[in-house]
Amino acid sequence: MATNSHGGKVLDKLAKPLLIALLQVRIYLKDRADLAFSFLLPIAIFALTYGAFGGETSFNGTAHIVNEEEGGLYSALLLDRLGEVDNLDVDLLSASKAESKLDRVDLLMVVFIPSDFSERLEAGEPAKLVFKQRGNGGDEGQIVASIVGGVANRMAQELQVRNEVAEAVADTGISQSDMENTVQQLLENERESPSVTVEEEIVGVSPDIVNDLMPGILVMFVLFAITLTARALVEERKRGTLERLLTTQLSIGQLFVGKFLVNFSRGLIQALVLILLAYAVFQMFTPLAFVESLVIVIAFVAAVSSLGLIIGSIARSEDQSIWIAVFFTMATVILGGTFFEIPESGILSVLSKLSINSYAIDAFETIISDGDSLSDIGIQLGVMTGVAVIGLFIGRSLFRVMPGGR
Amino acid sequence: MTEAYLVAQDLHKSFNEHKAVDGVSFSIEKGEIFGLLGPNGAGKTTTIRMLSTVLEPDSGDIIVGGYSVRHNADAVRNLIGVCPQELALYEELSALDNLVFFGRMAGLNGKEAKAQALSHLELLGLKERAKGRVDKFSGGMKRRVNLAVSLMGHPQFLFLDEPTVGIDPQSRNNIYETIEALRDKGMTILYTTHYMEEADRLCKRVAIIDGGRIIALDTPLTLRSKIGPPEQVTLEDVFLRLTGRSLRD
Ligand SMILES: Nc1ncnc2c1ncn2[C@@H]1O[C@H](COP(=O)(O)OP(=O)(O)OP(=O)(O)O)[C@@H](O)[C@H]1O
Ligand SMILES: [Mg+2]
Repeated sequence: MATNSHGGKVLDKLAKPLLIALLQVRIYLKDRADLAFSFLLPIAIFALTYGAFGGETSFNGTAHIVNEEEGGLYSALLLDRLGEVDNLDVDLLSASKAESKLDRVDLLMVVFIPSDFSERLEAGEPAKLVFKQRGNGGDEGQIVASIVGGVANRMAQELQVRNEVAEAVADTGISQSDMENTVQQLLENERESPSVTVEEEIVGVSPDIVNDLMPGILVMFVLFAITLTARALVEERKRGTLERLLTTQLSIGQLFVGKFLVNFSRGLIQALVLILLAYAVFQMFTPLAFVESLVIVIAFVAAVSSLGLIIGSIARSEDQSIWIAVFFTMATVILGGTFFEIPESGILSVLSKLSINSYAIDAFETIISDGDSLSDIGIQLGVMTGVAVIGLFIGRSLFRVMPGGR
Repeated sequence: MTEAYLVAQDLHKSFNEHKAVDGVSFSIEKGEIFGLLGPNGAGKTTTIRMLSTVLEPDSGDIIVGGYSVRHNADAVRNLIGVCPQELALYEELSALDNLVFFGRMAGLNGKEAKAQALSHLELLGLKERAKGRVDKFSGGMKRRVNLAVSLMGHPQFLFLDEPTVGIDPQSRNNIYETIEALRDKGMTILYTTHYMEEADRLCKRVAIIDGGRIIALDTPLTLRSKIGPPEQVTLEDVFLRLTGRSLRD
């Protein structure tokens, strides 16, 4: 070997793992579809999260209304006005239907316009709307009630203005229709360009949902890719190249480091895409928290890559590697408390310590939600790094080229 | 007696009670092409795997180029090239990429690997397609790439496990010529094949193995003379006489 003169032994030892990793990268690059898929996937996951929780920043609801007043002037006007409200749909239904839907808990809140609504308004008497609701009417019902109440109030105020102006000018000789037109004009102007406007400025989505979800999504995404890592060794065996490689100067340790490097890099790039998007779009990190999250991501991806190689070492076929990886991911996810809260003490809490996910999630929560620093997640980082290093050795020692082989 | 380059002594290997190799001993002289012949499942590949440091024997000793496989496998790996029975290539990549990669694994630097790769590809008539993806190659071309890869580095000893299986006479002749050229330059080769006329042409000596045991070992000519006038008897006749006509596996 012609390397000792330049470079030295350590570089020489590292060169082969790097070549193994680069070869794998070249194979990835040959399959553009696979490559695009693996990097578009995090973006797609992100878009899904964003679509579900990020895009919808304002309320959108339906007002269920029973109009008991046939052909009434003001009930028709009220319905028109409600129809003009953004983010509110109007659903007209009959009284009997409304009652039965309320009974069946299909609906929580229905607005009834009583039959004397216009009559009372015209007579200058107080009119009322009836909100029939189950309990407090539900979140949506409460908001709809306040919107409907507001619109009705405004309509009543306008009517009052009109009546008072009419009264005030009654003896001045101004014609009734001129007065009506002027008032009408003024009211419409006010409605179209109100003197007090409300402007919504969106500075990011409501943080709870995204803060809760992003770490979970990120962790799951990295974890699921364990299947690819596990398959990498089995695939090499199936190609026959594994046997061939082991008749060369390459040691199994170097092979492992090479496979680790390439799977680690893939996982890291995918995770990076995700947290960069989270940073840019959700603004869920301060710059410092972003850097600290990067450290968590690196430790976690490294741990998962090592675990993937252990699975690859014990699997005898591609199917086996996939099934073991699926089982492992499921167990990890369940014990990590994704499906149900893990109690503080007891057997489950002990078992959950086996789930590498719980350390990553813990670390993310400490950094993102609690705003603490890296020194507060030393244990989690230590466990993940430890798993990465020890996992490599365990994988290496479990690995056999073939039964009875090296 | 010239010096032995490879010595296999009383090799045993079982897979779950099944004895794949059952007391095999032979030695191969420097510069010799040694044929290992036998029916399917006789134990040829298992023997090669043990000799080429991939598989550990249950018992027995192997010396290659003066180094013990058991104690100094790394030194042995430095001396050998292996052409496995099954294709062992990264088929998504080009022939050149495959050769260069395995060359680097064999300890060459980038420049040396590329120069060697090009010269081996030329030797095997693949120069025009050097940059073509292997998965687009014909069966014969893939076999030739498989052989070319085993030449990377500076091997002094080649294990060729059925390098000519399933290819046309043109490809086969190209491989024969390559092997003869290598021998003429001093390469020592262990060769397995199911084509008896091939062994007759190439091998200085052949061992016939059956059921994990060597049942005959001599020059093709001597083996043929044992059952009749050598001009009238083929090595295949000898093979069938010794191993019987019943199907294996
Ligand atoms: N990894 C293994 N696990 C279990 N059995 C094996 C393994 N490798 C080989 N064998 C068995 O050992 C015996 C010898 O196999 P081997 O591959 O050495 O035969 P061979 O002479 O190369 O045959 P062929 O001409 O078909 O290549 C066969 O019975 C085979 O089934
Ligand atoms: Mg074989």
